[in-house]
Amino acid sequence: MTDAFIVLEKVCKSYSRGGETLHVLDEFNLSIPESDFVALMGPSGSGKTTILNLVGGLDSCDSGLVRVAGAPVSEMSRRDLPAWRSRHVGFVFQSFNLLPVLTAHENVMLPLQLTPLSGSERRKQADFALDIVGLSGRASHRPAQLSGGEEQRVAIARAIATDPDVIIADEPTGDLDRKSADGVLEILSRLNSELGKTILMVTHDPLAAKKALRLLELDKGVLIEDRQIDEQQREGA
Amino acid sequence: MRFPFRLALRHLLARKTRNGLTVVAISVAVFLLCFLIAIVQGLEASVRSASATRLVTQSAVSLFVSLPISYQHKIDSVDGVYLSTKFRWFGAYYQDQENFFAQFAVDPNRFLDMYTKDIEIIEGPGGITGPEAKAAVQKAFDSDRRAAIIGIGLRDDERYGFRIGDTVPLIPLLYPRADGGAWDFVIVGYYRPLKDRIPDTTMYFRADYLNEAFESGEAYGDIAAGVYYVNTLENAPVEQVAQEIDEMFANGPQRTQTITEAAFASFFISAMGNLPLFLGTIGGAVLFSIFFSVVNTMMISGRQRIQEAGILQALGFRPITSTMLLIFEGLLISLIGGGCGIVLAVTTERPIMQMLGQSISNYHITPDLVLLAVAISSILGIVAGLAAGLPFLRYRPTEALRSFE
Ligand SMILES: Nc1ncnc2c1ncn2[C@@H]1O[C@H](COP(=O)(O)OP(=O)(O)OP(=O)(O)O)[C@@H](O)[C@H]1O
Ligand SMILES: [Mg+2]
Repeated sequence: MTDAFIVLEKVCKSYSRGGETLHVLDEFNLSIPESDFVALMGPSGSGKTTILNLVGGLDSCDSGLVRVAGAPVSEMSRRDLPAWRSRHVGFVFQSFNLLPVLTAHENVMLPLQLTPLSGSERRKQADFALDIVGLSGRASHRPAQLSGGEEQRVAIARAIATDPDVIIADEPTGDLDRKSADGVLEILSRLNSELGKTILMVTHDPLAAKKALRLLELDKGVLIEDRQIDEQQREGA
Repeated sequence: MRFPFRLALRHLLARKTRNGLTVVAISVAVFLLCFLIAIVQGLEASVRSASATRLVTQSAVSLFVSLPISYQHKIDSVDGVYLSTKFRWFGAYYQDQENFFAQFAVDPNRFLDMYTKDIEIIEGPGGITGPEAKAAVQKAFDSDRRAAIIGIGLRDDERYGFRIGDTVPLIPLLYPRADGGAWDFVIVGYYRPLKDRIPDTTMYFRADYLNEAFESGEAYGDIAAGVYYVNTLENAPVEQVAQEIDEMFANGPQRTQTITEAAFASFFISAMGNLPLFLGTIGGAVLFSIFFSVVNTMMISGRQRIQEAGILQALGFRPITSTMLLIFEGLLISLIGGGCGIVLAVTTERPIMQMLGQSISNYHITPDLVLLAVAISSILGIVAGLAAGLPFLRYRPTEALRSFE
């Protein structure tokens, strides 16, 4: 699996809570090729968010190797991780996590501040990202003035503004109604098929999972299912 | 480090009420602090600028009991005494009660010879300036009992604008005239303080103008000297001279207490109780409480920002960005507040100076004081921002993001 884009090798991750140690992942292995769209399912507490955090460099593992786009994430220091994240990973959260004091456009501009782009280039890039999610017309609105679906689309625009290789989405449709959820999934799908983004998405929603190319099922830190989703199933979703 | 200025400003504007109230609180506190420090500095300055070789002979009973004029030639006869002058508070105002400045009845020619190191006559009658001005003024004093000199502050204050040659009517508060009218004075010269802390808004005039009017019944008051200021000869034993003066009057008619001008100045201050310490304590308390109010404001902001800190970190910002955001906001709030307080202190300097009048003549908002206020405001903001922002350095991004789930 040398061409794998995201690799987790013998990854161990445990949390200690009040003297007790909780082993969430034990020698966990996973490999995802570039431009794949993976849905990660599993019961609550099975370790889905933990995996996303390790891949996104938000958390470090106890042992093992995490490699993303050729970079040894698990070996990087806490000092170097933020800069790496800003270039390579875009996050989408269940609760959108837009900054309420900023407008939609300003939210999207925020990660672009960390790039060497000029002011006008950044504005263009942010306009472009908002255009992709179909919210150019709402650029000057605050999150409070947007619907949940719109908020999540702004969050996606923010995640892709810096043109990262990987999009990590933790239950992106968890707080949305069916229609809004479909809109968001549609955008993720297009990001994958048209722009070639590698997407790792956690979801509890089987319909959402079917929009992906591949389905992983996790239980107590162990992959119990790993299958491709064929065209037919996707159409049916 | 890339600093999200836009975000910082948005935060400040998003909490207009809370931040506005904090700004108001800081400005009031900084104003109060400037006010108190200026008063304490004014009090201390009057002690510092006082002479150690000049004596003040006052009634042993009270500062407000006047000494007889007959004492003067006896004082002059004491060994080691160079010159003495009567010094009596007049207390009158110009046209309006608010136009109040200090006036003292003295022996002008003696006074001018005694105060050569303290004040300088810069202009006399007929536009005479330079070294001859003093002699011209002394001549003018001799020829007109209504003659008076004023500080350049009174010349330059547009409410007065007194000029040499002007006849200035002052309405008495203590010594009414039989005709119910004002006392007329004729300006014969301007003086400029040579010491930093000597007020330039005082008027000195002839003591015998008062006493003769009392004697003739033109006005009501007792013929007296007030206190005596006594210059000692160079190298004279000051303490001994003071003692001799007091012994001379030990058997009345009025006992005296003679102390150095410096001691007199500090006595004046201790007569107000331990005012400097008291004011200092108030200032400290003001600073202390405002400090906690700012820290509190920033801590509330801080606690509401944990989620934001997590988001910023996920986007690739360093944890210190959140800390810097709070420091920046704290600094901006306290500098705006401090700035308003300073502006308030500077614009109210004159009115307050006039309000304090005779009691504290050296109330000044100095550039040093402004600088101190700016420094205090900055430290306040930075410390408050640090207190609220330092915890962010400890949070891992996952913890910060989980904090609101
Ligand atoms: N920082 C932490 N400290 C202690 N325990 C933690 C921490 N993060 C996660 N856990 C625990 O590790 C386990 C796995 O957590 P994780 O968040 O990965 O689950 P999940 O599969 O994402 O669950 P959910 O579907 O509810 O989001 C859970 O039992 C959780 O309580
Ligand atoms: Mg989870």
